[in-house]
Amino acid sequence: MNVVEIENVTKTFGSVKAVDELSLNVPKGCIYGFIGPNGSGKTTTLRMIMNIFYPDSGTIRTFGEEMKGTSTDRIGYLPEERGMYKKMKVRDLLQFYGELKSGRKVDKDVDYWLERLELSDWGNKKIETLSKGMGQKVQFISTIVAKPELIILDEPFTGLDPVNVEVIKDAVLDLRSNGSTVIFSTHDMNVAEKMCDFIFMIFKGQKVLDGTLDSIQEKYGSDTLRIRTEGGRSTLDNLEGVDKITDFGKLQELRIQPGFDHQKTLKEIMSRTQVYSFELATPTLYDIFLRIAGPEAKEQAHA
Amino acid sequence: MRKTLRFIKREYLAAVKTKGFIIMLILMPVLMGGSGIAMYLLQGQVDTKDKRVVILDRSGIVAEMILKAAEERNAAAVFDKETGKKIQPAYVFEKATPDAADPQAQRLELSDRIRKGELHAFLEIGPNVLHPKDDQSTFQIKYHAKNAAIDNIRNWLNNIINPFLRRIRLSEEGIAESKANEIMTWIQVDAMGLVSLDQETGAIKEARKTGEAEAILVPVVLFFLMFMLVMMGAMPLLQSTMEEKTQRIAEVLMGSLKPHQFMAGKVLGGLLVSLTGALVYVAGGAFFMGRIGLTDLIPFHVIPWFFTFLILEIVMVGSILAAFGSACNDPKDAQNLTFPAMFPVFFPMFVFMPVLTEPTSAFATWLSMFPLFTPMLMIIRKAAPGGIPAWQPWVGLVEVLLFTVFIVWVGGRIFRVGILMQGGPPKLSNMIKWAFRG
Repeated sequence: MNVVEIENVTKTFGSVKAVDELSLNVPKGCIYGFIGPNGSGKTTTLRMIMNIFYPDSGTIRTFGEEMKGTSTDRIGYLPEERGMYKKMKVRDLLQFYGELKSGRKVDKDVDYWLERLELSDWGNKKIETLSKGMGQKVQFISTIVAKPELIILDEPFTGLDPVNVEVIKDAVLDLRSNGSTVIFSTHDMNVAEKMCDFIFMIFKGQKVLDGTLDSIQEKYGSDTLRIRTEGGRSTLDNLEGVDKITDFGKLQELRIQPGFDHQKTLKEIMSRTQVYSFELATPTLYDIFLRIAGPEAKEQAHA
Repeated sequence: MRKTLRFIKREYLAAVKTKGFIIMLILMPVLMGGSGIAMYLLQGQVDTKDKRVVILDRSGIVAEMILKAAEERNAAAVFDKETGKKIQPAYVFEKATPDAADPQAQRLELSDRIRKGELHAFLEIGPNVLHPKDDQSTFQIKYHAKNAAIDNIRNWLNNIINPFLRRIRLSEEGIAESKANEIMTWIQVDAMGLVSLDQETGAIKEARKTGEAEAILVPVVLFFLMFMLVMMGAMPLLQSTMEEKTQRIAEVLMGSLKPHQFMAGKVLGGLLVSLTGALVYVAGGAFFMGRIGLTDLIPFHVIPWFFTFLILEIVMVGSILAAFGSACNDPKDAQNLTFPAMFPVFFPMFVFMPVLTEPTSAFATWLSMFPLFTPMLMIIRKAAPGGIPAWQPWVGLVEVLLFTVFIVWVGGRIFRVGILMQGGPPKLSNMIKWAFRG
């Protein structure tokens, strides 16, 4: 069963088409990652799912129903920019947001989450006294404290240190295990690769990727030669059949042209320098992202 | 409904659970009635330094009387009888011979003495004050001082010189002193209320003597109380809505609340804040009046009207403010919209005096029937002594009720769009578009 079904949705702001003929299905119980460059339409799509914006055309169904004018109580939403009353105390704010959505007392849930995210000592402090990271965690709790079935997180890891990123990641994975469906947008390809069951990429308002990581990578094929050599980057110039070299210092990634025999490339490198290790791999999500939205894509578009 | 109630609770508690609210509750009446209270408190703060006044009496009959009257006044009023403390300045008059040859030089010399602080004033009495005729300059009385127009001594002199001269004139006509007293008796015109029929006994009730307090104080207090309560409950809505929008709280709330619930929560939360203030002031005021034995002055017949119009005023103005707040993107926008949004409250402030003095005039009647101004102006008219035709507050009420429904509808539609619209200052044309086209 799909929790969210988006069909041919278009949303325009003035002369800018923020979302263009978008269709997408989010199955129940999965983690769906939205990626895309800034201004590509991620937040607009999330807001339309939340019913904060109405699409100009097309339909959005959540839990099988079109939501115009109906309640969004089954959805928890963490917006990109934090929205909290600065003068309220942490515990009061979480109870308020939780009760507003669930219609029941959420005191125990608030205590549980405050403890889990190591914020118990801050329960009686005002929001304005929190650091950015703490504020982010409080906002995250406010999103999930009412136990919504669908959780939408717009950039949930922004402003968090690696320890807190792990804490939130664990919490998200637990929520999924308990039956919630999670949609989140992120610029961190590493996180998206590791956490998401499905990845959706939007670029200039249009869907450019949608599927599991494997299916996406499969589409691009095993065209990446990851190699460690004695000579390093300087020995890899002017190789036949290589489209692009990405240098990671001790390691280089070579993108082999479609149809070109990678064995030939490897032989050529071995003739130039000593090879310590090599691996024929699928491109990373980061690489795929850059292929679609990076400078290389722009050059191709201009060509 | 549950959500709206929960949001109202937050809005209400966020407003009243602050020290600022308690301070405002105390300070508001102090600030509003500040000048009156200051005048009352400073009434006793008079300069008790003796006032020396030189008399140039060209008539030759007045100066002696003034000296005697001043002596009596000083004996009676300068010192507190119980404490012996000096509470008033003594009036010390001295006679001087008018300089017939060069009166201007004498005036200049006396004026210079006043400037130096040696004298408080000098008084010139014309030669013909007893029988004033022909040349006006011969029967003038001139009081020269630094601030002669608002000088208490001038008033005191006015009150003793004229009766004195009249008595001499009467005496010259051969009228006996006892008769003269009768002739001189001044009878004040009393301000009275209207005679009414007692509903229980059927008897005609005597008209009550109306004091200035009843005529002016009661309507003015109710009027300013309503103004204060609007400032307390509705005014903050513009700022707080703008903040909720700019701090993205609105975006989170819209995940749980519909726009109309959001706006209703804000307006009704503000209303509860105002009603809390109203209860404190009305109950406190009634208790205070009871303690000082002025229960008669409490306008019980107006209080239900006051609360009815207050509720409608807050909902009406609050909806306008919340809608305007939703269209703002920064504090400057909110500042620019404050005056237009508060116009229904400010305009009655400009016209309250003519409405109070002539509550049944066509001007007052028509203005109070204009729904934006009805709550504040109708209450002042209703509380004014003499009252207004019974149908007028009812018609006003129906008008305001309908208009408030309309304003809430328009405000709700502006709010729905505005609260999520980022960028660009609020434009009237946009708001009209949002209101009628969505």
